[in-house]
Amino acid sequence: MMNAQKLGLVFFPAFDWAISETHPERQERLLYTRDQIIEEGLLDMPSIREYKPGMAAYQDIERVHIGVPDIRTLITDAHLVSAGGAMAAADAVMRGEVQRAFALVRPPGHHAMRVVHGTRGFCAINMEAIMVEYLRKVYGIRKVAIVDTDVHHGDGTQDIFYHDAETLFISFHQDGRTLYPGTGFTNEMGSPMALGTTLNIPLPPGTADDGLHEVLDHLIMPVLADFKPDIIINSAGQDNHYSDPLANMAITAQGYARLTDKLKADIAVLEGGYSIEKALPYINVGIMLAMAGLDYSKVIEPDISKCPKQSLTVARTIKSLIEEQQSMWANREKTRYEAVAKAGDFWQRKRRIYYDEQGIDEQQIERVRLCPKCSGYLTIETEARGSDFGCKSAFAGVISREACSQCRQMATDAVHKAKKQGQYQHYFVQNKYEDRLEKL
Amino acid sequence: MLLGLDVGGTFTDGAVVADGKVVSVVKTPTTHDNLLIGILSAVDQVVKDIGSQQFTRIALSTTVVTNALVEGTIDQVGLCIIPGPGMDIRAALPVEPYILSGYIDHRGCAAAEPRQREAAAACRHFQSCDVFAISGKFSVRNPCHELAVAQWVRQQANPDHITIGSEVSGSLNFLRRTNSAYYNAAVWRHFNRFAVGVETALKIRGISAPVYILKADGGTLPLGVARKYPVEGIFTGPAASVLGIMAISPTERRVLSLDIGGTTTDLALWENGVPLFAEGGARVGGFVTALRAFRLSSVGVGGDSLVYRNEGLLKIGPMRKGPAMAAGGQWPTVTDAMVAAELIDFGNRQLALEAMGQVAIGEQTIREAADAVLNEAVNLICQAIDDMLAQQASQPVYRVEDVVHGTQLIVEKIIGVGGSAAGLVPLVAKRMGLTYELPKQGMVANAIGAAVARPTVDVTLRADTAQGYYTVAELGIKNKLPIHNFTLSDAHQLAAEHLAELAERRGIFLGATEVIQSEEFNVIQGFSTIGKIITCRLQVKPGVLMNHEEGL
Repeated sequence: MMNAQKLGLVFFPAFDWAISETHPERQERLLYTRDQIIEEGLLDMPSIREYKPGMAAYQDIERVHIGVPDIRTLITDAHLVSAGGAMAAADAVMRGEVQRAFALVRPPGHHAMRVVHGTRGFCAINMEAIMVEYLRKVYGIRKVAIVDTDVHHGDGTQDIFYHDAETLFISFHQDGRTLYPGTGFTNEMGSPMALGTTLNIPLPPGTADDGLHEVLDHLIMPVLADFKPDIIINSAGQDNHYSDPLANMAITAQGYARLTDKLKADIAVLEGGYSIEKALPYINVGIMLAMAGLDYSKVIEPDISKCPKQSLTVARTIKSLIEEQQSMWANREKTRYEAVAKAGDFWQRKRRIYYDEQGIDEQQIERVRLCPKCSGYLTIETEARGSDFGCKSAFAGVISREACSQCRQMATDAVHKAKKQGQYQHYFVQNKYEDRLEKL
Repeated sequence: MLLGLDVGGTFTDGAVVADGKVVSVVKTPTTHDNLLIGILSAVDQVVKDIGSQQFTRIALSTTVVTNALVEGTIDQVGLCIIPGPGMDIRAALPVEPYILSGYIDHRGCAAAEPRQREAAAACRHFQSCDVFAISGKFSVRNPCHELAVAQWVRQQANPDHITIGSEVSGSLNFLRRTNSAYYNAAVWRHFNRFAVGVETALKIRGISAPVYILKADGGTLPLGVARKYPVEGIFTGPAASVLGIMAISPTERRVLSLDIGGTTTDLALWENGVPLFAEGGARVGGFVTALRAFRLSSVGVGGDSLVYRNEGLLKIGPMRKGPAMAAGGQWPTVTDAMVAAELIDFGNRQLALEAMGQVAIGEQTIREAADAVLNEAVNLICQAIDDMLAQQASQPVYRVEDVVHGTQLIVEKIIGVGGSAAGLVPLVAKRMGLTYELPKQGMVANAIGAAVARPTVDVTLRADTAQGYYTVAELGIKNKLPIHNFTLSDAHQLAAEHLAELAERRGIFLGATEVIQSEEFNVIQGFSTIGKIITCRLQVKPGVLMNHEEGL
């Protein structure tokens, strides 16, 4: 559309929702951002159009998540609105009303994995993943690239798309050895059939705008150009900022705005960022201006002099990291071929997943069928324990969108067989082929 | 005895309300070259009609500000802005501003100081300007930079007038405040000339009643105050009409009002007895401002709208080519359809039938043609109503509860005023399955509205207990908090005191007040609460002085 406005904004600060009173994810997180956006007059710019979020349906959520015992009891209305906000942003872009959209919504979601036992890393359901599957279901989008620019590894999003070769997940973040959730290393590359479509860039603490843009120019942008996605999603966390209280990076509002300008994501969804007074108002204004094609060069934090400089050691680490991942990307076809050959019919991984909010410890085994005809199916065995939580367990079969009839049958059979053996409390078939989650 | 005068595009209407009753109504032609002539002629007619000039108040709704803008009789303004870091707003302003250093952050702290030598340079840059406007980002959180720059400009250039951004609006939105301040300064001289004219002419006639100016948000300002904030007197015509409805047909229900005039239908949505306000403020000359105004929507259909066929298709308006054929015009109009369909009794029915005869095609009878015209007119109005309701439903909300429970407005009743309401409103109501009301004096609702509009004023109090101070932008106040554990209810009380202070300063009676915004957030550092940010906005309730002449 010729007369489409540049940017659709879904602003939903959830002023009446918090995880708990003094939790970083609380009512006023976007208060100062709202003040800044309104005071700047951004919502009055002809190139920006504001949208109201709707509420996501449970079906939209269960297209992605398997809640144990069910998703309803694990989330609040705020989650439905936040997911609905991401979907409203997607609708605005897909209908051609705007060129890009930014869902400036909370609560966040990128730590929420496919199986949900509770809230981890402030997240219960994954807004971007729900939006991506909605885009596929409603608009027939296939190849998606998600670029996660939060300081924490987007482990939830990685988990959900780990076996999906049509979703490229790129995450840069502060090195997992120094920050929650402690994952996101270069060897996490996706399961054999999707090897290479998970790309982690663990940056050293102290990375500044220079280092970040090196990564962007020499790694992320070329990889995106190679992958040729139908759509680019930005998980727009803002906690790489030098003033963030939960991390140790040195990115500025200008660094974020230039990143946004280069990435040209179709849809951005807010993730973390807890320097609510010193960083968020400026980063969000910078992102909005960049997405709307307006001049952002004057968006500068008043305390910019407090931003630390990037050390030479950090610069060197970044350079070698870029080289390592460039070569991984260049050789991905060969590596994938070898991994598939090595795995045989099934690939399996066993993991411990920790829910920091509630002290839940989950043990999980995933088995993926490497089908020669389709993208295969997945079974998940999960058992979660916590002192107040007790114990919850489940067995689930996941049928992919384009599963062959044999895989569909095998997945269903596996769940029925598990149920007969009765080792778990709950049994699910997440049938993406028929777009429903069935509880046996 | 309240006298209201509304200067419209064609007529200057006058109405006198005494003890809640309309005792006189007059109509004189609007004198575009000099509005004062038409206004005084209306005053003279009213005085003659009632045989008295002992008015308690005269309230004016005029196009004087609008005309100044349209005709370009405005002053060149020395616009100085203190934008700090952020969006470059220059392209969204009507004129090129002079940019000064200094920055107040979103918490109201001075992050960078303004410089006197820059203010001096701005004065040299605007050497030919006699009026200035000064606007700074977040000045409503702390006006000190705006006030300092104003002081420097006064010393250096001694202009006739300076408008200060935080004084024209207490709300966040630097862009809108800047535009409001600019337009206020631009029309200042023109309006003041008009005001002096009004005062002098009334004095000569021996009329000593205080004069008030109607505002776009339905409130009124004493003329003396309006001389300082003249931009408030823009777009008052539709507001006058809406207030008229409030006066002659008060309602607490969710109502849609239709003011159907000669060429347009103005729509307004009402909740709890008051019309909804426009988000952010009105637009002036295509630029957004912070001027509070009713949220009105307008569609180009009225009694005089031209009815014609374009390649066989029936079309209505938005143009007018003269009065209805029933009234001696040359072209078919919507009024002719209403007369032909026997909805109203007006003019020469035979001529109206002829008009519809011209519109009929094929086998269509005259009556069928008239019904088709009315059907199309109702379509256009209903479409505008649907659009307005959809727009209302898509207003962003920022709380989970508001999304879950929805904020959609369900209209319960239609109120119709204006010259062409009697014929069309019943048809619109029938289409929408709603009841309707056609108030008796609906034809002069505008002048009645001006007569009875209650004076209003509002203040925005923002307290930051972590920093220990509060601001009231409209009063240019930044004070220490009076007590240690300052709460939301303390804020309401303090705001009420400042509202009373501002009302007194503006010579306005403090009637019923209402809270129009109230929010409270914790300020947390690390993991402990170190204070609260409390915002509350209080206003003298807009409304009408119908039953008793309170507040004068």
